Amino acid sequence: MIQVQLEPEGRLVELSGTKTVLGMLNRLSLRPTMAIVVRDGKLLTPDRRLYNGDALLVRKVTSAG
Amino acid sequence: MKCSRCKAPAAVALPSHHSGFCEECFQIFFTRQVETAIRRQKMFTRDERILVALSGGKDSLTLMLELHLQGYDVTGLHIDLGIPNSSEKARKKVQDFCDLHGLQLQVLEMEKEGLPIPDVKKYVNRPVCAVCGKIKRHHFNRVAREGGFDALATGHNLDDEVARLFANTLRWDNAYLSDQGPVLPASDGFVRKVKPLYRLSEFETANYAFIKGIEIHSDPCPYSSGASFTSHKEIWGELEHRSPGSKFQFYDGFLKRGKPAFAMMEHENGPELLPCRECGSPTSAEGLCGVCRIRHSVQENKAKAEQQG
Ligand SMILES: [Zn+2]
Ligand SMILES: [Zn+2]
Repeated sequence: MIQVQLEPEGRLVELSGTKTVLGMLNRLSLRPTMAIVVRDGKLLTPDRRLYNGDALLVRKVTSAG
Repeated sequence: MKCSRCKAPAAVALPSHHSGFCEECFQIFFTRQVETAIRRQKMFTRDERILVALSGGKDSLTLMLELHLQGYDVTGLHIDLGIPNSSEKARKKVQDFCDLHGLQLQVLEMEKEGLPIPDVKKYVNRPVCAVCGKIKRHHFNRVAREGGFDALATGHNLDDEVARLFANTLRWDNAYLSDQGPVLPASDGFVRKVKPLYRLSEFETANYAFIKGIEIHSDPCPYSSGASFTSHKEIWGELEHRSPGSKFQFYDGFLKRGKPAFAMMEHENGPELLPCRECGSPTSAEGLCGVCRIRHSVQENKAKAEQQG
């Protein structure tokens, strides 16, 4: 299980069975350059592996207006 | 993925540049893109004084910090729109940021200018976003002019520019297409306007802001739906995904080949500009400029409404 903090909504999502950042973004219907992904304060590229128990921050980059 | 410069693990993947960077090298990449923008478009020099429009969003704060780190003489200007709950937050964010980095900041309160945006929304019968944008541009220009600044810089990024160009292209808006770009030279009463982040995408500025610890999360304006620009950005996000680099090609191609053609079509015989009787800003109207007119009509309609109780 992976925990994702989604911003700017501030929603918490739990995902299982996603093995990479790219897979996780696909599950959230986000393209790789539409959000930044952070684990333990570090930015991750789409090819990075995810592990059970990971807590991620996914922040969409499009500013409204 | 490895960093294209130093082979350390990459933190940011950039398909449009066929590269990826670690956090350190990404900052070098970012700085170079800004340097290239300033140099190629002849935006300003290190001897000039630059006023930076600071909304409180990630792009304007990123721009301010990056120009400061590059050694430019920058002063921030934040406009406090006077919107309950929202404006205090934005203002505090800008003030904290400038304090933290030792940056010069001026704050202009629309309440004191007789133009708090809630009153504008209430008493002016026009879409509030358009009027608010006009009021902000007016005051940024006025402060820059009266303060003797050489250029006014805004944090518009590639996605902002592409979304705007796309909207103008959908309408084939000649006038806008003839003078949209990362530099608008000074002309009677208007200071030079520059957009040093125009080569960088929203994704790139978001990564930079994160690395620099800039508080990225900003509340959207409570009065704005932001709908049309956001949907154009989504369309372009999809195009960019299928064909990385399209955004920049579209914009850069416009600057090189589209804009000159539109500029030729759009004859330069616009109306003569005179200083506004009240505030001195350039205007084509007799006597008062558009923003002074808005201020008067807010005052009149407010007085009327209060009389009627
Ligand atoms: Zn590196
Ligand atoms: Zn005026």
